[in-house]
Amino acid sequence: MSDTNTNTDTDTDTDTDGTEARTDGSGGPGIVAPDDETPSWRERKERTTGLSRLTYEYFERARREDQDLRTESDYVERDVLAFPTWPHETVRNLSIAAFFTGMIFFLSATMPPHIGSPANPSSTPAIILPDWYLYWSFGLLKLGPLNPELAILGGEKITADRTYGVLANVVVVGFVAIVPFLNKGSARRPVEQPFWSAVGVGGIVFAFTISLLAVKNLMPMDVDLLFDLTFLLPIVATTVTYAVLKTMREGYMYDLNRRYYRLRPPK
Amino acid sequence: MADEFIKGLGIFTGAGLGWVVLAGWYRTPGFESTRQLISPASPSPANADLFNLLAIGLMDTLFWFAILGPLAFWVILPAVREASDTIDDRRNAE
Repeated sequence: MSDTNTNTDTDTDTDTDGTEARTDGSGGPGIVAPDDETPSWRERKERTTGLSRLTYEYFERARREDQDLRTESDYVERDVLAFPTWPHETVRNLSIAAFFTGMIFFLSATMPPHIGSPANPSSTPAIILPDWYLYWSFGLLKLGPLNPELAILGGEKITADRTYGVLANVVVVGFVAIVPFLNKGSARRPVEQPFWSAVGVGGIVFAFTISLLAVKNLMPMDVDLLFDLTFLLPIVATTVTYAVLKTMREGYMYDLNRRYYRLRPPK
Repeated sequence: MADEFIKGLGIFTGAGLGWVVLAGWYRTPGFESTRQLISPASPSPANADLFNLLAIGLMDTLFWFAILGPLAFWVILPAVREASDTIDDRRNAE
């Protein structure tokens, strides 16, 4: 472990060979400082090279630690390419949990309290709603204007509006269940599969707009306009996403990134 | 480019959070209202005391900051840079 800093086991090139450009930080002194030259927090804060540099240093440090681990005698090669749970994943998860906990404290401390009147079990409220995460399903029950009135039945509807809403739930849930069989999810980022990314964005936007339709009694806008936007906005979002991602595929950075992110763990 | 994005996003989320808190106090007549966050400011700025007046002014400032900040960093500044680069390229080409 003491001689790992010289990279004698892993580098076939000599560090002092200046003829070949080294882009992975392994040539020369590198950007990862030895432990006795680790910059102080003041020195770190005085760096003004930005987030990209910081990200690069972080991953370079992680790569260096991974390399040190590999040179240890008791290292066992695994098919896993990832960061260790401690400290990388744990520190990240703790910071995320601390952020959301702090946000809950902040909002509960600063927003005006809403203490509603006590529930009256003998009367049904004018507006009844499920919990917010079920608004999308509740909105699908309100698709009465889409229920066709068939001329062959003399203008009668073939199903009641409530049956139509339940069938709409079946259709939407069925589509969501089928998508994993149509697309295996091998893309690492949206730009690799613009069509399915556009479908996903459209689905997310539709989940949002259909949730707004569910609370149309509380929406400060025309209900007919809201009903139209519920179905138009997902189409617009799908089209825009597809166009943007398809355009990004033509760019130089896409080819460059694909070379990196298509890398797979070694077998 | 990533720096400009996080500047715009930080302004949007930070100013938006401050605006939503103040609008929850001053522009929300009730949590079962259909005009939450967009009702006229209450108490009216015409006859509000100093602290309420400061808070109402801060609320409107944060609202426009949340709109104009991301617009500047995501749209205007990149557009100006693209335009200046294009102008430079054309000058160098001639």
